[in-house]
Amino acid sequence: MLQSFQQDCVALLRERLAKGQIDRRQLLAGLAALGVAPAAGAQAQGTRDLVMVNWGGLANQGFGQFYGDPFVAANPGYRVVQDSTGPSIGRIRSMVESRRVTWDMCDSSATGAVLLGGLGMAEKIDYSIVKRADAIGDTFTMEYGAAPYSFSSVLVYDSSKFPTAPTSWADFFDLRKFPGKRLLRRDATCVLEAASMALGKPMGSVYPIDTRAALGLIERTRRDTVYWNGGAESEQFIRTGEAVMGQIWHTRASVLQRESNGRFKFIWNQGILQPGIQVIPKGNPGGVAAQRLLASMMANADGQVGLLGLLGNGPTNPAAAGRVPPELKMFNPTDPENVRVQLPLDGNWWGANYQRVNQDFLDTVTG
Amino acid sequence: MFPKGMPRNAGWWALLMPAFLLLTVFYVAPILQVLSISFTEPELGFGNYERILTNRSVQRTLMTTGRIAGITTVLALLLGYAVAYSVTMASERARRWWILCVLVPLWISVLVRAFAWVTLLRRQGLINDALMGAGVIQEPLELVWNEFGIIVGMVHYMVPYAVLPMLSTMREIDPRLMTAARGMGASRWVVFSRVFLPLSLPGVVAAAVLVFIFSLGFYVTPAILGGGKTLMVAEWISVQILDLIRWGFGTMMATVLVVTILVTLGGFSRVVNMRKLFGGGG
Repeated sequence: MLQSFQQDCVALLRERLAKGQIDRRQLLAGLAALGVAPAAGAQAQGTRDLVMVNWGGLANQGFGQFYGDPFVAANPGYRVVQDSTGPSIGRIRSMVESRRVTWDMCDSSATGAVLLGGLGMAEKIDYSIVKRADAIGDTFTMEYGAAPYSFSSVLVYDSSKFPTAPTSWADFFDLRKFPGKRLLRRDATCVLEAASMALGKPMGSVYPIDTRAALGLIERTRRDTVYWNGGAESEQFIRTGEAVMGQIWHTRASVLQRESNGRFKFIWNQGILQPGIQVIPKGNPGGVAAQRLLASMMANADGQVGLLGLLGNGPTNPAAAGRVPPELKMFNPTDPENVRVQLPLDGNWWGANYQRVNQDFLDTVTG
Repeated sequence: MFPKGMPRNAGWWALLMPAFLLLTVFYVAPILQVLSISFTEPELGFGNYERILTNRSVQRTLMTTGRIAGITTVLALLLGYAVAYSVTMASERARRWWILCVLVPLWISVLVRAFAWVTLLRRQGLINDALMGAGVIQEPLELVWNEFGIIVGMVHYMVPYAVLPMLSTMREIDPRLMTAARGMGASRWVVFSRVFLPLSLPGVVAAAVLVFIFSLGFYVTPAILGGGKTLMVAEWISVQILDLIRWGFGTMMATVLVVTILVTLGGFSRVVNMRKLFGGGG
């Protein structure tokens, strides 16, 4: 199964623990921030549970320090319970259709929010509770979901292989000027944006994507490309020299750059900035309290900065960027300097077109 | 076999009923319910099945799966036959070690084995490094992230499944038949091709069915060794169900897979003894 960004964050944390870059306490804090805390035992008298669902594989670890704790502190009587079984769109659909909804908030995607919203399977975000002003842009506040964090798909390359550095997706797809294997995610999202920009579309007019042209470029270069499903896999492809240039998540690119002493470099230019959209399934057991939890996650700038330090997820609260320590700014996707050169993902376009376009993409890639 | 004085079958059936009911209620019924989505979504009818004839993606996935499963079956049978033959001909002591060596890989997770192959086959992997170090090649060979890599991984996984049914058939061949043939002047090749091979064929067919059916449903090995460029049926279904939420389309393919497996089994059950294939007692 294609790994999601959130799933990869958990994997990344565990890798950092194994390398001794963080200690166990930080691991727990990070897992908590991602919502991968243990589903606690018996329900205490009088407390109400809100269930957050995420992509981690760890159970019985940590507690929601960055997202859960602040909410619980401000709302006595609530408890934020974590479930790490992976809220794929298909699983949310099956839960809502069977009318046995046990989830309150799902770590989904822009596409997921639009698709589920369209099927009547997600609650509308109540923007009288969640504050639009708590997000740096429209990308992060959608009709059926809002994003307390961001991530980006960036160009990473092996600087030892090229005398001149690639600076754009046009360079990425130029196999003559920059020979060697390429690496892309096996998902149309972000790949087609990169292809469009390589074909000369200025950043402002990438959407609506000319899918025929973009897929044509993918088809012409697929011989020289390998495709990744999981974040750890993407890192390995670059690290072991299977590919010399790739489009991977910035969290993985940051690790590569730090650990290789700059041999592997990534650029923010033309990166595709994406929202970590949280979706509330239709008929969630916690009702409107889930909206308040989301509002608290969106408003908590310090928690978001903490998550950036630990994992690299970009904050989305406007107050956060100024509180980011200087040494982290270059790794923050939502630092104003970095936002300026990136393309914000159009989640609504993808929501409307994902099913068709991703099928075409898969057919092209596996053709 | 049946105790005297009891209705010949009733007692046995009664013992089977709990398991039968359990399977029907919790296994067969939900599967049928899921597969029935292929007739109801997006609209009632056979629309999803029509796409087997019209949709390029469906056709290619089926072709790819059939091709990879077919090649895997042939290779696993060839390798497995050689192993099974050697084991049959080995001494009692050696045979135990052989069988252990065949079984050990079965206990290693499919994931671990796929990653092990990546380590061996990649550009800077053991094989390419060794060949380049020895000066045999200048550029690394493309051994993985393609169908070649998938087939290597799958054959490796399937060989034990090919060996076991063939071994059990070969061991039932009376060795005196070969001795007799030799005694009557047949050459080694004639003994093998005219006596041993025909007698071992039921095992070969059983192994072929087993390996082919297993190969149709492979998920992990192609996902890891294929470099994302090969979609077999299992992964294709998963994408449809989980990511694209086109359940009608996905369950159509699942139905095709189930029917293919049942038809293959049904067809071959006329030729070979299925009870032997799946380890049923005499």
